[in-house]
Amino acid sequence: MAEIAIKAEAVEIEAKVKKLTLVWTGLTFILFPILGLLGFLMRLVQGNVFPMFPPEWFYSILTLHGVGMVGLWFVEGMIAVIYLLSKYVKPSAGVSWFSFTFTLIGVALIIISTIAGKFGAGWYFLYPLPYKSAEIWPNWATDLYLIGLGVLGIAWTVWVIDVLRAIAKKYTLNQALAWHYLAGKTEPELPPIILIVTVTCIGAITGFLAAVALLLLFLFDRVSGTPADPLLMKNLVFYFGHVLVNITMYLGVAILYETLPQYTQKPWKTNKLVAFAWNTVLFLVLFAYFHHLYMDFVQPKAFQIIGQFASYFISVPAAVVTIFSALAMIYKTKVNWTLGSSLIFLGTMGWAVGGVAAVIDSSIAVNFRFHNTLWVPAHFHTYFLMGVVLMILGFIYHFSQLHSNIPDNSKLAKFTVWLILIGGYGFLSMFYTGGALFVPRRYALYPPALSSGTTLAQISIVFVSILTIGFLLYLIQTIRRWARSF
Amino acid sequence: MAPINAVAVAIFIFFALLIFGVYAFFISSTRKPAVGEDYYKSVAKLRAPFFVILLLLLIAGLVLTLPKIPYPSKGKFPDAVVYVAGKQFNFALDTQPIESEERWKERAEAEPVQVPAGKWIEFRVTSLDVNHGFSLYDENGKLLGQTQAMPGYVNRLFIKFDKPGFYTAYCMELCGNSHHAMKGVIEVVEEGTFGAKILNQQ
Ligand code: HEM
Ligand SMILES: [Cu+2]
Ligand SMILES: [Cu+2]
Repeated sequence: MAEIAIKAEAVEIEAKVKKLTLVWTGLTFILFPILGLLGFLMRLVQGNVFPMFPPEWFYSILTLHGVGMVGLWFVEGMIAVIYLLSKYVKPSAGVSWFSFTFTLIGVALIIISTIAGKFGAGWYFLYPLPYKSAEIWPNWATDLYLIGLGVLGIAWTVWVIDVLRAIAKKYTLNQALAWHYLAGKTEPELPPIILIVTVTCIGAITGFLAAVALLLLFLFDRVSGTPADPLLMKNLVFYFGHVLVNITMYLGVAILYETLPQYTQKPWKTNKLVAFAWNTVLFLVLFAYFHHLYMDFVQPKAFQIIGQFASYFISVPAAVVTIFSALAMIYKTKVNWTLGSSLIFLGTMGWAVGGVAAVIDSSIAVNFRFHNTLWVPAHFHTYFLMGVVLMILGFIYHFSQLHSNIPDNSKLAKFTVWLILIGGYGFLSMFYTGGALFVPRRYALYPPALSSGTTLAQISIVFVSILTIGFLLYLIQTIRRWARSF
Repeated sequence: MAPINAVAVAIFIFFALLIFGVYAFFISSTRKPAVGEDYYKSVAKLRAPFFVILLLLLIAGLVLTLPKIPYPSKGKFPDAVVYVAGKQFNFALDTQPIESEERWKERAEAEPVQVPAGKWIEFRVTSLDVNHGFSLYDENGKLLGQTQAMPGYVNRLFIKFDKPGFYTAYCMELCGNSHHAMKGVIEVVEEGTFGAKILNQQ
């Protein structure tokens, strides 16, 4: 009797989580094309295809694209992980729905702020620009933007805490961080996804705390006119931004650990090495963000050097443990390559390439000339667009295929993957070349002396077109399966 | 291109191609799977050497780049000082501190400041409104160096110009809708003529 009841509960949870995942992933099909096309539009403007395009529109599009993409992939990573986690622990479906509702509200506020209000201070809204726009956007636009971020912050903090709560129901904190493996024990067995998600959620909470402090200081300035310290504000915003982007990457890696074994028929278990790697990551991620402030010469020199050390060594666990193991796992092994598993696996390649570019730029002496050049969007688009985004898109396909039972069309899948790789890396190579030529980032138009930026943007239009076709094919194959999964 | 960044780009191209190659190799190995054998273990043997090589590469990177950090040490004195103030949407440069908006406006529209080639110039960089990024590009679009222009703070940037000519400061931090059009100019002259010109001005 009891057994049947447990089974019934499992089925019910399964259905609940499935529905949740379906709805959340459906958001990707709307937001990803829109935000991607905004990116396309920016390259067109930078290539001077529309000479009359108002620059303030460019900067509000830049803001929306940046904050939208980072937010979108964070939430999609979260829902993917919640779906995969529910095999082991039970995050609350109610909290996920709450988070979904609030996320929609936050997104709506940010869209109004950037599109109707022309807010264009960048996703990172560096103090004091948001309220000193040279009268380009009104103060209410900034208010809406900050309120929108606040709403997202509340939704996501609650969400992350609930995931930790679900994990804590089954594991103590030191078990969830696999400290018993460090001590040489292997009981209780801990699925690696639990370890990674625990690290991710703890990191997320520290990032959200920094965001709270930041928003309060903004509020204080707005209400009482007491100016905040610009250097402190910069530290806070970059701590928050850096952590958010990093943990989104880790959510992708959590997907990898949990799904790749299903395609290779080999288990991926926690061991001492994996435990050590992720605890190191949790420690180093707190300090790597200093590399965003290398060009603030008044920042204490010790922080700058710590930033370079942390940024360098955080690459070691990623490369030696995760990427190495992923490669070893497929070597001479029969892998069931579908559109899903291919994208998930190839995401690690983008992580590796982008990681190399990141480590290079995190050398202070190099950053002296690469800071805020196109090298920066080059490297983070590599490990986002060609990294975690591919992993999450791969997951959405994996999930939809599983529940729709429509078999994979391997020829079409292969063609799709090639288009995405050629279009994606081609697009990135133009960013990298721009960086190598010191073309500044976040320029609506390039001045005549830096006209190579214009030419490179024009060439990249070809690659972005290829990429767009690739993603379109992806969407056609995935939405068909997704729609059948309801 | 500044040598260290040229080296950086070359290193990146090398490793990016290496990674593509490794992935191509591993993915194609799945075409002819070996039955019944556990190849995971044979690859796993390479993990320790890989770890050591990566560590050595990173340490080499630290040893080679840390001595080249651009932050001025306490005991470093320039041959000349230039004050820089950013404000939406221009950089004003002067040999005297720029403390008021009027002074900033005057200097932003004035003839470029002149400095000698081959000497250490210290730029004391600040902002009168929002964050800007002060950079110095030569006439070929080569970036010599940069620092942030932040309200309430002064960042000290040391630059030695090898060649005479006009150098342009482009803005490296998003500061509003004319961010891409924000500029400042400085003129670098031969050391000999520099003294003469200063005398002429007096
Ligand atoms: C779909 C293809 C994409 C295209 C064509 C594209 C294009 C662009 C362009 C042209 C810029 C401005 C670069 C500059 O001059 O500074 C940009 C910035 C940015 N993109 Fe993308 N992008 C794409 C995908 C993504 C993805 C998947 C992410 C995921 C996080 C992303 C996140 C960002 C961010 C955070 C910025 C920086 C915004 C800022 O500087 O404030 N992009 N993108
Ligand atoms: Cu500026
Ligand atoms: Cu600017």
